[in-house]
Amino acid sequence: MVRTHRWFTPWIMVLPALVILCVFALWPAVNTFFLSFTDVRTLSGGKIVGLANYRQLLDDPQLRSALLNTVVYVVVCVPLLTFLPLLIAILAEKPLRGLAIFRTIFYFPVIASAVAVAVIWKFLLDDRGLINGWAQHAGIIQDAVPFLSGRWLLLFSAISLTVWKGLGYYMVLYLSALGNVDPQLHEAAAVDGAGPIRRFWSVTVPGVRRTMVLVAILVMVSAMRIFTELYILGGKTGGVGGQDVSVVFLIQSSAAGADGRLGYASALSVLLFLITLPPMALLARFNRKVDE
Amino acid sequence: MKLFKVAALGSVAVVALAGCGLGSGGSSANSSKVQQSVDSSAKLSGTINFQTWALKNDKFTPYFTKLIADFEKQHPGTKVNWVDQPGDGYADKVSSQISSNSLPDVVNLPPDIAFAGVKSGALLNLAKSDPKINQTYVKSGLADYTYKGVDGTYAYPWYLGTDVSYWNTDILKKAGLDTRNLPTTFDGLVAAAKKVHDATGGKQYLMSRKPNLYDIMATGAPIMNSDGTKFTFNTDAAAALISKYADAYKSGYMPREVLSSDYQGNDALFKKQQVGWTTSTGYYITSLKTDAPTLAPKVIGSPAIDVAPLYSQGISVSAKSKRPALALAFAQFVTNNANQTAFVDVAKGFLPGTQAAQSDPQFTKSDGTPAGDAAVLGARALPKAKSLGAPQWDQQDSDYLDQQIALAMTGKQTPKQALDNAVNKANSLLSK
Repeated sequence: MVRTHRWFTPWIMVLPALVILCVFALWPAVNTFFLSFTDVRTLSGGKIVGLANYRQLLDDPQLRSALLNTVVYVVVCVPLLTFLPLLIAILAEKPLRGLAIFRTIFYFPVIASAVAVAVIWKFLLDDRGLINGWAQHAGIIQDAVPFLSGRWLLLFSAISLTVWKGLGYYMVLYLSALGNVDPQLHEAAAVDGAGPIRRFWSVTVPGVRRTMVLVAILVMVSAMRIFTELYILGGKTGGVGGQDVSVVFLIQSSAAGADGRLGYASALSVLLFLITLPPMALLARFNRKVDE
Repeated sequence: MKLFKVAALGSVAVVALAGCGLGSGGSSANSSKVQQSVDSSAKLSGTINFQTWALKNDKFTPYFTKLIADFEKQHPGTKVNWVDQPGDGYADKVSSQISSNSLPDVVNLPPDIAFAGVKSGALLNLAKSDPKINQTYVKSGLADYTYKGVDGTYAYPWYLGTDVSYWNTDILKKAGLDTRNLPTTFDGLVAAAKKVHDATGGKQYLMSRKPNLYDIMATGAPIMNSDGTKFTFNTDAAAALISKYADAYKSGYMPREVLSSDYQGNDALFKKQQVGWTTSTGYYITSLKTDAPTLAPKVIGSPAIDVAPLYSQGISVSAKSKRPALALAFAQFVTNNANQTAFVDVAKGFLPGTQAAQSDPQFTKSDGTPAGDAAVLGARALPKAKSLGAPQWDQQDSDYLDQQIALAMTGKQTPKQALDNAVNKANSLLSK
């Protein structure tokens, strides 16, 4: 009889994935960490500069703006993208005729290209765009609202776009979670006199709590890595005077070009990694608890 | 040193893969054998790669197909593979090609990207291999590829462009402005912008742009010190210019979009007839006939305000080409007077970078139409057009200056602070 299972068999099975992980995730991560202590440029070698890039981070006023914008993005996006998709999922879950169309409509922004969607939003929000034009025509406003040139308005326009685009994705997660909530619990609560709001807080929310935590953490991490929305709506300078940049935005602008500062951009990447670490650790801990 | 470059290459890959990290791979740009000069009498044979920048399309493909076929016919046994790169991210693309020793044998480069290639030893010094270079090509074009502190010339001037001012006569007439006496200075432009603002109740504008480094250069501010080691354009005259822009913005003579938009934003507003002035190449009116046919008949041209900027494109040869003689011969073929003249016949509004073309009547004689007049204005402006002469100035510097000027125009800082910040940042970004 031929032995097909040897000690190395599992290793052969995981080898392709392991190679991909090492080449495309582990090595670049280690490399980025190493580069953050150098002054390497795109086309020139460099030398080790110790903590110079990190000291420069502390003095970079744009980084302070980027961190503030990131905090605002997280604080606004997390509650909105945790609760709104749940409410939509509850509505979309009802077995009504034609509801599949609504589910598709809500999911459509997820599959649409972020760039295409942002360009459409730019047309809508421009000083001479559809929204301002309509509001001025209707006499609601006299001067155009500076959605794309106001420091905070641009940020909130980008947040609105992120929320709109994320609704469908998280709705699908909630739809699957809602399917696991025992309908008898709702019936029992209704018999006890609980109204829809009470049933939502006492039955639905506890039933999908794990998914809510998962969604909140996923939203938090993606909000910290925001780039496309700000880049398209605010332009390559990150809004007026670069006031609406994000950390990823700064990484991109620092590393771009033939003389890109890879060392400094790496230090920014390490910083971004460090600030996304707590929510990621939270997610790992949460997953472990679920497994237990 | 090599270790750093391998690490740097790793960085590029992560940027591409993860969107926020850094990575890339490849060997040192200086590690392989670099050709210092080429024997142009050597027998031509083999295959080379030729790279253009955003020129493979319905308009230009027939020209390049014929150009390559002609060359291959003249030199049996040779083959030219043509590759074209998209408009966006060209500097990044060329950088990765240099890092990975895969720069095409013959490559179209603007002066700033060529400078990065020169610093890493990736480009051939053409002056060393071609003794007739100074007699064949225009001085201003060659100057853009001759760098302070570096011996030699690193590209053949290919096609050159400058700005012409374009005016929407409908908007000018509404403001009572004389279309035969158009502004030629910035102060005249602001005065005209006020008239447009007042006549249209602020609904239409004349100007819709922030100043850039070319405008600052036009004030007489030295962009860099004499040895090219420091930026020095934070002068009082430059600050006064930004003050004038800020005042014009605060007075409502410019739309709010100028604070965050770039040239394309200005062009879009002009095409929508919301703005009455823009700048472009001498071919703009002809292109408007297709892009904005109702606008085209209303547009007239005039010389650029203050100083006309010079925009150059060049053809470089890779210092590590395996067929240097063939690459050099093809670069000369692409940029000879006949082929450049045929090229600008397709790329209207530009002028060849050869001396022979400068006296060619086809570029200096108008057909009497506004489109023809504008083309001649562009051609006549070229000899006096000025380039920045600072290839160290890159996109990162330009974006930062743009941000600082926007903050000055909104009153968040003074114009002098904006310039000081931009100069300090640009100096800190200069390669040590």
